[in-house]
Amino acid sequence: MTAAPAPARTAPRPAGAPAPGRAPRTGRGATRARTTILHAALLLGGLLMVFPFVWMLLTSFKTLPQLLNDPLGLWPAPFTLQNYADAWSDVPFGSAYWNTIYIAVLVVVGTLITAAMAGYAFARIPFRGSKVLFVLFLATQMIPMQVTLIPFYFLMARLGWVDSHLALIVPAALANPFAVFLMRQFVLSLPKELEEAAIVDGAGRWRIFWSVILPNLRPGLGALAIIVALSTWNNFLLPLVILNSQELFTVPLLLQSFRGQFGSVNYGLIMAASAIATIPMLIAFVIGQRRIIGSMAASGLGGR
Amino acid sequence: MTALGEATVAAEAEVVPATPGGLRRESAWRRRDRRWGYVFVGPQLLGMTLFVVVPFVASLVLAFAQWDGLNDLGWVGFDNFRTELSDPLFGRAIVNTLLIALITVPVGLGLAVVLAVALERLKTRTLYLILFFAPVVTSSVAVAMIWQQLFRKDGVLSGFIANVFHVAPPDWLGDPHLALIAVCIVTIWSSVGLNVIIFLAGLQNISPSIVEAARLDGAGALTLFFRVRLPLLSPIIFFSTVIAFISSLQTFDTVFILTANAGPDNATRTIVYHIYDLGFGKFQFGPASAASIILLVITLVITGIQFAAQKKFVHYEDGAA
Amino acid sequence: MSRVDSTVRRALAITAAAALALSMAACSGSGGGSGTKTVVWSTWGTPEELTRYKDFDQKFMKEHPDIKVVLQPVADYGDYHTKLLAQLASGTAPDVFYIGDDKIGQFVNSKALLPLTSLMESSASKTKPDDFAQGLFGATKKGDEYYAAPNDSNPDALWYDKEALKKAGVTDDPATLAAEGKWTTEAFLDMNEKLHKAGLTGSMFWNYWSTHYSWISSQGGKAFDDSGKFVANTDTTSVKAMDVLAKNFQNGTFVVADTLPEGAGADSVFVTHKAGFFVQGRYTIGTVKAAGDPENYDVAPWPTPSGKAAPTGVAVSYLAINAKTKNKDAAFTFWTNFLSAEGQTQRLQGGGNAVPSIKGADKVVLDGYPEHAKTLLAMRDIGFEDYATEAAVPGLSSDISDKMLALYQGKASTKQTLDEVAKMIADKTGGK
Repeated sequence: MTAAPAPARTAPRPAGAPAPGRAPRTGRGATRARTTILHAALLLGGLLMVFPFVWMLLTSFKTLPQLLNDPLGLWPAPFTLQNYADAWSDVPFGSAYWNTIYIAVLVVVGTLITAAMAGYAFARIPFRGSKVLFVLFLATQMIPMQVTLIPFYFLMARLGWVDSHLALIVPAALANPFAVFLMRQFVLSLPKELEEAAIVDGAGRWRIFWSVILPNLRPGLGALAIIVALSTWNNFLLPLVILNSQELFTVPLLLQSFRGQFGSVNYGLIMAASAIATIPMLIAFVIGQRRIIGSMAASGLGGR
Repeated sequence: MTALGEATVAAEAEVVPATPGGLRRESAWRRRDRRWGYVFVGPQLLGMTLFVVVPFVASLVLAFAQWDGLNDLGWVGFDNFRTELSDPLFGRAIVNTLLIALITVPVGLGLAVVLAVALERLKTRTLYLILFFAPVVTSSVAVAMIWQQLFRKDGVLSGFIANVFHVAPPDWLGDPHLALIAVCIVTIWSSVGLNVIIFLAGLQNISPSIVEAARLDGAGALTLFFRVRLPLLSPIIFFSTVIAFISSLQTFDTVFILTANAGPDNATRTIVYHIYDLGFGKFQFGPASAASIILLVITLVITGIQFAAQKKFVHYEDGAA
Repeated sequence: MSRVDSTVRRALAITAAAALALSMAACSGSGGGSGTKTVVWSTWGTPEELTRYKDFDQKFMKEHPDIKVVLQPVADYGDYHTKLLAQLASGTAPDVFYIGDDKIGQFVNSKALLPLTSLMESSASKTKPDDFAQGLFGATKKGDEYYAAPNDSNPDALWYDKEALKKAGVTDDPATLAAEGKWTTEAFLDMNEKLHKAGLTGSMFWNYWSTHYSWISSQGGKAFDDSGKFVANTDTTSVKAMDVLAKNFQNGTFVVADTLPEGAGADSVFVTHKAGFFVQGRYTIGTVKAAGDPENYDVAPWPTPSGKAAPTGVAVSYLAINAKTKNKDAAFTFWTNFLSAEGQTQRLQGGGNAVPSIKGADKVVLDGYPEHAKTLLAMRDIGFEDYATEAAVPGLSSDISDKMLALYQGKASTKQTLDEVAKMIADKTGGK
């Protein structure tokens, strides 16, 4: 990045001396004060965001007597790991994790490919009925699933996909208007010259898609991957209705097990189970985001 | 913001170079192109038809029937629509849902844009990303249960507000006026992180040289934001707005667990909750389907408005809409 | 560009491999070998409850080697019925399943449940109709036909806190009074007044049919007449009784437990000695034992003007057989064993969260806690489930409870509320 001369408004800095500790990406000469304020504001916002999560963790270390006798106390006293032990042994979290993960992977891969293809088509390929089809795609998104649940279940029963992961993977990967829409928008924000160059070279649509469009869609694909992975991970209603055998259950389903009908709800146990359900996803995000955001940075359109 | 020319879709054909037998070559390419169009949308189209349209049509049919889930179907024509449109509970649900949508979408997205722009400039953004994203990965069941405890009249939040603002501790979940706000807070809280990621990706897409050029022209921070970043981000923002509206019009999970059904005085009764209650609570799938058709119409209208506004507010690289 | 290709190729390869593995794994599920009948059954429950069910299944399979039992648990009570409905609508429902008492009416009135009377009276049955406490059948008995049976019960009883009573200056003990036939409404209201004056909550009730109907019944009123018509609004005793109930809610002596924050709300109040009475089922045992000082708590029936016990509400869940089951005999064998005295004893022993619904299993309750545990049995024997008129219309019971809540909050008068309830019932049952 070239060091651009600082705009008149900000105080001039010695050329080539970056702000201490942080090299501004775009070469902008932000003052130390501004960045510090920015950090402070973000930190405050971040803490507000994460406070409920922290509270969940604190509660998960509390015992039931403490929760009953002192429901509003903040710190666990006594501190216990028993909730975690119970949560892990009460239900098969291990197999649920495996199930949820491999379902999510399959759905993400399937969605990314088919949605990018469809999004590209809607954005760039003129074909008869593309507008109508697109509106139809979008409209199907507008019916709440509580209504389509029973007919959908009926369909799954006819296909023999009840109590099978197929019902959770195939429809999710092949019917995601939201993903198609997102991809369309990302493709639309790419400059046309990219394709025009390839067309001049005589490339067909297929090659254009794989060689020109996809590499430039990396940020969008990354974002979509995260979104789809997340919604698959958290998906609850469909697995609830479709799956019968506990070995096939996904993590959100297991979480529901702890709610019970009568009597004291052991909040410590529920929070421990929620933590078990949530933390791996968070860790995956921490590891994954570096790669994803990294690829977002690397892809840039450069040179225009 | 360079001028790319209108580059309408039809003009693409001009790009194909003239070769011997040029005209014939053009139309063949165009025909192949069209076929590629179908191939590309093929998988999603197939999936959509089978897994979405079929159940959708089934629920359309149900809207004109009377069915309790257990016995046989009976036909009632437009009765279900008449019942629902004159049901005060449904009317209340519509009002509540629209309120939730009109509050959460602008506030949530506005916050996300500001955060994304702020984060984009920082190299050490990982920590913040984790903090903002934690709510998104927490399962909605856990989220609702956590907030239920936090919103207690005698709880942490109310106590804090009472001490700082010297008012009576707010009864979030018991007061009809506050309950809706509580639902909005939880909705915004759990979705900001996601939109930040999306917008961050969109910002990464903006070529740095455009920003450089603008800065060289003397643009300050605010000008950069409103005249450069925002317009270039607008296709993505448009997408997020459309999706956010659709999803907030379908608010259900939060309401279901947080305010234990319809909330005090039906204050948080949303359309989808009403539909669920009709169907699985009262075993009346006919009116439930009719209500969902009405919801569809409402959603289509709101989305249509946004698509129309798109021409004015959304900037596409090639002027396409 | 080749990078994209190879990444994609790798992705496709993984997908293909996974799809293959998937299709092999998807061949799981029921279908026993030749000669073995499979009975699939479903219920809701917490992990501990599920452990007990699985234990029962194991024992049953040992005793009946020709029957394979598969349990389909659904965690949450609300979700359970959603799923059951979807399954019934598409013909994939289990052979035997639980049904909650707030949904039972609709199921009974449909063609989904197998009529059970002849099976129950047959020689293979371990659960003759008369073995059960009769009032528990509620809406499952239509005319002469039984469509389901109660698998256990929870009489709505007055649990009380001796320490809270002492703090309020109360010297009598409710259970002792009840045993002497002296547990009068007057005594009860007097205690509540003292509690209220001492700054404590008098009694906490959950807002559902059992609260208002138990009160009406115990005070000598009649909510529904023998033909099933709602008469509480025209019966002067009932109206007076509801008036008393409403006034106590309105002045804060009585509290609706549902308006307290979920879970730790009412329970916390009770175990921290801030309330005198908590009206709910036997599962209170779990709460007070967890909090640490169970000796402070005991249980009494609802008070009556005369001091003699009267019928009051009992919450129940039902077990039914799918009308379309392919293994009728195996399903019934499982059903009758599950509900039999041995079955219920095995399920409920040491658990402390329910009262058996059948004769011959009383020792489950008489295990030493609470001191007057046999009150629960007495209440079960004369108690009743929700009235069939109300239970048959889905959602009606909770709509009525909503009206009662408005009454308790002082938003309407007693007579007005009861009249509106009468109208609501007439609208929903007459016009149907």
